[in-house]
Amino acid sequence: MTSLTTFYLSGITGKEVFDADGDAIGRIKDLLVSAVPSGQADPNQQLVTGVKLKVGKKTGFYSFKTFRISKAREELNVTCTGLVELPGEEVDNGLLLVENILDKQIVDLNGRKLVRVNDVRLATLASGTFAIAVDIGIEGLLRRIGITGPIKRLLSFFKIKIPTRFILWDDVQAIDFSNLNIKLSKSYARLHTLHPSDLADIIEELGNKSSTSVFSALDEEKAADVLEELETDAQIHIVESLPVNKVADVFEKMPADEVADIIDELEDDKAELLLKEMEAESSQEVRELLEYDDDLVGSIMTTDYLSFTSTKTVEEVLNELRAKKPEAAELYNMFVTENDDRLIGTFNLRDLVVSEPEKTIGQIMKSEPVSLLDDQKTSAIAEVVSKYNLLAVPVIDQNEQLQGMVVVDDVVEDLISERRTRKRRK
Amino acid sequence: MTEIKFERKHLFRRLGIFLMILGPGIITGSVDNDAGGITTYSVAGAEYGYGLIWTLIPSFIVLIVIQEMNARMGIVTGKGLADLIRENAGIKITFFIFIGLLLSGIGNTTTEFAGVAGSMEVFGVTKYISVPIVAVMVWFLVVKGTYKIAERIFLIFSLSLLTYVISAIMGKPDWKEIGTAVIRPGVEVNTRSMTMIIALVGTTIAPWMQFYMQSTVIEKGLKMKHFRYTMADIIVGCIVTVVVAFFIIVACGSTLHPNGIVINEAKDAALALRPLAGHLASQVFAFGLFIASIFSATILPLATAYFVCEAFGFEAGIDKKWDEAKEFFILYTGIIVISVIIILIPNAPLIPISIWSQVINGILLPVVLISMMILINNKKIMGAYTNKPFSNVIGWGAVSILVILSLTLLILPLINR
Repeated sequence: MTSLTTFYLSGITGKEVFDADGDAIGRIKDLLVSAVPSGQADPNQQLVTGVKLKVGKKTGFYSFKTFRISKAREELNVTCTGLVELPGEEVDNGLLLVENILDKQIVDLNGRKLVRVNDVRLATLASGTFAIAVDIGIEGLLRRIGITGPIKRLLSFFKIKIPTRFILWDDVQAIDFSNLNIKLSKSYARLHTLHPSDLADIIEELGNKSSTSVFSALDEEKAADVLEELETDAQIHIVESLPVNKVADVFEKMPADEVADIIDELEDDKAELLLKEMEAESSQEVRELLEYDDDLVGSIMTTDYLSFTSTKTVEEVLNELRAKKPEAAELYNMFVTENDDRLIGTFNLRDLVVSEPEKTIGQIMKSEPVSLLDDQKTSAIAEVVSKYNLLAVPVIDQNEQLQGMVVVDDVVEDLISERRTRKRRK
Repeated sequence: MTEIKFERKHLFRRLGIFLMILGPGIITGSVDNDAGGITTYSVAGAEYGYGLIWTLIPSFIVLIVIQEMNARMGIVTGKGLADLIRENAGIKITFFIFIGLLLSGIGNTTTEFAGVAGSMEVFGVTKYISVPIVAVMVWFLVVKGTYKIAERIFLIFSLSLLTYVISAIMGKPDWKEIGTAVIRPGVEVNTRSMTMIIALVGTTIAPWMQFYMQSTVIEKGLKMKHFRYTMADIIVGCIVTVVVAFFIIVACGSTLHPNGIVINEAKDAALALRPLAGHLASQVFAFGLFIASIFSATILPLATAYFVCEAFGFEAGIDKKWDEAKEFFILYTGIIVISVIIILIPNAPLIPISIWSQVINGILLPVVLISMMILINNKKIMGAYTNKPFSNVIGWGAVSILVILSLTLLILPLINR
């Protein structure tokens, strides 16, 4: 019926709506789109479903179905064939373009960062009106202030074009839902596609309220990965603003050394509360790590490591690994211990893969392994890691019993900064 | 099985919190006494003697109340003032505020470089050498990422502002007279004295500082439960500001005023002090001016570029690459370049420039303050931490006085014409 009409949110808000006879009905305050994505390819997730309309002195939500937007000579006209009130439930499930999107920060999923919305571009097709893109460019800014025309004319003298920047609606995630009652985990669904470190960067940049609500919408696994990646300040903010049981659940999914680092920064009673809430096994590991001073190897070692007896065969070990599905870091280096936990050798994934299945670990391991002492200063790690090219170094105590391992991922930042200061000193 | 032993760490943690939090207020307070401030205080002292010292008392109270609100907003929301204004005040007010902030940023930076030029001229270095060197140094210091270290060094250097105390005492002021002037304030109402008062208040409570204070608080990751440390920091910062201002006015009021010497720039004050209070007093004064100018010349362009980008949604940060944050780097570099060019023009109209940036400040300040008052009383934003009646009375009172003063400043020249 109608051909494609495109327009901007800034152009439609404040517009007067007319009925079939040409009488004014009210003024448009805001547009409602369905916020909950029902699937990636579903076009309905960007369909405009409702209008916030000011009729007389009252403001209410009405279904968009009876509205029509057309463009004649660059002028937008809005007509309505009759007001149909929108059920409250549909309002709750929607996203208000002016209130939740315009001027707010949203996540650009492709650029993996926060951007500020200057305007929203919409289009009317035969099947309805859709939000198609958000405008984050300078042109959108000027349009909102109402000086695009003069500036464009001025710049055309110098043959300069005002830069335009749009992001497709599919590639953005709204952040601010503060006024709506919708379930957050559903509305932040698109954030799950982001890498934990990108998510952490975004959460760090958000305000206090939004960062907490985005974080609490993540499932425990993802939340654990993200919490690990956050800066200390942000970690503390998140931990202190979420309920203790939720934090304890997330902590249980994290390596004990990371948890110990966070707990070390908390107030004593909060720390104790969290440790009590965690499962006994996990909290015990954390407590042990907390006993080490900050500058000792023990404070940054992880207690998640794999150790085997020397009599196991390669095949048995491989089967165990398949069943256990350990984290990548645990496979950097695996250890061989005697019955009393004394470390006698190490082997890595390559050693396993290239060996005959029936060989024993004792035959393929490297004996007299390089190791660190748990009460050694952390400054010793750098030398060991770079000298022996190790991804993970076993940590033993005075009795040569295996206590944990230091993973290169955890020390790489210290290594880099140490190198820098050394360079500067030269 | 083991209870963690926390006690050992307790003392260090307390100390750590104190050192960590002692910062935003003191830094902001030190940046506050920039070249523009020193100039204004010197001129006020030379022209009115101790007559306008009393203005420091209301300024002090308003300064504390405003900074407390900034700190509270920063801690509760975790958002910068620019963000909050953009999200709540609408695009047109945002545009007005930030274009104003940009213009006054350029004006103020120009004043800082004028301070560098003037103070080095006291030591016999021409501005054509001192200003470009300082500008390039400042640019590199910030862009090459050593900004945090620079900030700390400057903070220690800013102790040199206390040298004004020495300058003042060398001028052998009459303390009894000062006391009387503070207790029994008196001003003749005319255009000149009104302009002076507005300039004094405007330079003490500069609009961009509200933004600066709030973002520093966020950067430090402060918490509401440590608010009394933050409050101590703010009060110390405000005392530093006011004490330095007091001694500058006294230094100039006790030496220049009785001799009827009229000055236009802080440099004039330094030069005029020489025959009256001795060589050393003059050089101490110039050194203080130099340090204060560089300190603010480092922070001002950076902060201005940052807040404009924050409000308009451009990416910002010195750790970003040129392509990632083009607008930010163009703004930052542009502010410095324009300011340096203005200073280096022979016979540049420095006095009109500094007056005009004061005027922009004067118009901007009430707008920013009104936005702040509305934001901080919004339950949706501040939750349980909205303003108490006391802060509201002082806040709105300050806003009304500032609006009246600014309007007077704008209207008086028209009437007198």
